[in-house]
Amino acid sequence: MAKILIDERECDVAEGTTILKAAESAGLQIPHLCYHKAFMPEGSCRMCLVEIEGLPKLELACSTQVRDGMKVSTKSESVIEARKGVLECLLADHPIDCPICDKAGECKLQDYYEEYGLFESEFNEEKEKRQKKIEIGKNLLHDQERCVLCRRCVRFLDEVTKTRELGVFQRGVHAEVATYDGILVDNNYSGNLAELCPVGAITDKDFRFKTRTWFLQSRESICTLCSRGCNIYVESHQGFSRFSLPKRVYRIQTRENQMINGFWICDKGRYDYSYLDQERLDKIVVNNSEDPQSWQEITSIVAGEIGRLFHMKRSSHIGLILQSWLSNEELFLIDKIFRNDINIGKISFLDPPEESSDDFLLTAERTPNRRGAKEIGFDLQPADWEKFLEDVDLLFVFASPIKGDTDFSPLKAALDKIEKTVLFASHNHEINSLFDMVLPMSLIAEKGGSLTNIVGSVQGFSPALDAPGNCKPAWQFLVDLAKKLMINFDFYNQFSSPESIREVMKKEIPYFREEHE
Amino acid sequence: MIKALGYFIAIIKGSLITTRHFMVNMWFHTLKLFRIKTKRKGAVTIQYPEEKRKIASRHRSLHRLLKREDGKPRCVACMLCVTVCPSECIFVEAAEDPDPEVQKVPSIFIIDLSRCCFCGFCVEACPEDAIRMDTGQIEFAEYSRDKLIYDLEKLMG
Repeated sequence: MAKILIDERECDVAEGTTILKAAESAGLQIPHLCYHKAFMPEGSCRMCLVEIEGLPKLELACSTQVRDGMKVSTKSESVIEARKGVLECLLADHPIDCPICDKAGECKLQDYYEEYGLFESEFNEEKEKRQKKIEIGKNLLHDQERCVLCRRCVRFLDEVTKTRELGVFQRGVHAEVATYDGILVDNNYSGNLAELCPVGAITDKDFRFKTRTWFLQSRESICTLCSRGCNIYVESHQGFSRFSLPKRVYRIQTRENQMINGFWICDKGRYDYSYLDQERLDKIVVNNSEDPQSWQEITSIVAGEIGRLFHMKRSSHIGLILQSWLSNEELFLIDKIFRNDINIGKISFLDPPEESSDDFLLTAERTPNRRGAKEIGFDLQPADWEKFLEDVDLLFVFASPIKGDTDFSPLKAALDKIEKTVLFASHNHEINSLFDMVLPMSLIAEKGGSLTNIVGSVQGFSPALDAPGNCKPAWQFLVDLAKKLMINFDFYNQFSSPESIREVMKKEIPYFREEHE
Repeated sequence: MIKALGYFIAIIKGSLITTRHFMVNMWFHTLKLFRIKTKRKGAVTIQYPEEKRKIASRHRSLHRLLKREDGKPRCVACMLCVTVCPSECIFVEAAEDPDPEVQKVPSIFIIDLSRCCFCGFCVEACPEDAIRMDTGQIEFAEYSRDKLIYDLEKLMG
């Protein structure tokens, strides 16, 4: 352990820690552009200069290791002066086209100028003219004028994806980030470059000119497009009072979690978010027309149907088809209601087929909670559908939120013959018209709960968006339904939130008792 | 009875005020007629709308969007006016411009004048000097609210 003083603040850090990390652990911010936690220090931007007592010159906080008894100053006059100088040089060749830059609002150069700069530039010369719009990847655009040569993008492609599509070419004032012979950045993690860029040099085509960053509200969530369960921020626009917007969610950003996804997410998770807004089902539909009945009345009808079969001792004629987009809590409730209480016997999963995985984050399973379903005790093998649907009188189906990924064809023929069919769906889909009753469900991003990822980590999530229209979280419907069934009222009456369900789940299933974070 | 008397007193008071104003103004106008200079001038009624008062150069009137030399809007859809607008009456949607030096242009620019409070913040916020409120037009009342929603074309005039 080394004891050092940063701005008169004492901190104990391990030997070999850099000054920047030590300062951060003491709650002090040192400005930096090129340094990123994921990579080795680069020391090219010179923003993190600090004064160390006894040393003749200013040192880089990002790459200087602490020594016992070191006295560091991040606010001394010479440091403030040096920062201004560095910023002035960085901005000498920067186009300052913030009005048209997508990074504006979250740009580090902008922030640092506000905080440490505020000078009148002494450079009167014409700025160097460079290319402003180069395509460097299938989702990326590069503006060479804005680039500060921090090499974060180059290091990301060298160290993380190891695809090495970008490099810094030329020297001095002509130095520029570019692709080799115009070969585009084409890997499943390219979207991270736009987020990684501290300025607006690499921007996202998907987000380009869609809105400004300060309109977006960033809320924590978990990616549900594969079973890795990467931590993300869902960034949505709250809208304007007088004008309607085409969508709510404008982009997905990564959220750091060293245990699961580190600092990154794949391009599938980043760009395939349109399902959150497009073609959402937000009304209760009965017999193919919008139904004016409330959720309470609908729940009574469903409970009545189940109760009728249950009291006739025909509960084995109830079928239930699930998918693993349901949270742990919901699957637990389903297990309790349909297996323990009513004992329906016919439960099966209809998940989309596995797709190719890459060997980093994206997994072959394209649903978020198969592991959770397994731990709760469900059999995930697809059923022999013909046999499954034989003599079913009442069928419940939970449909996947991603359009077109599940093959419903084995069900189609049998649906007409079944007396009553109920679909829980979040989107309008052609299959919806084949069901007697279609109930709108909230997505993972719109409700609370927990998911178990492929390696068994149980991660809680809370709503990142408001549910549209009449959508309801499945857990809420299941609790209401169970209470209406009156089989085990007291047990279900204690559930008022996903957290309360998880508490009980922890008691009943040993797997969830242990910490799998 | 006494209450009713109070009304009459008020009417008489009011007439006296009117008469006083009339007499005072008449007095100053008469003096002016005889070319006698006084510090105070007699009041004059401007016969609006036949006669119009000159608008001050800083007066905030109907908005306009300025053009570039080639006729394209100067606006780059940075949405600072949208951000700063206290009555949320501006809506902008950006589009791509083929010129890499311009890049961003508004495809939709709407000002809902039925909501606008003419604070002029949009003019102050604009980094491109693309919006101004110096048209001098103050008469744009309409019979329906829809007609008060001004789009890009109308604002570029």
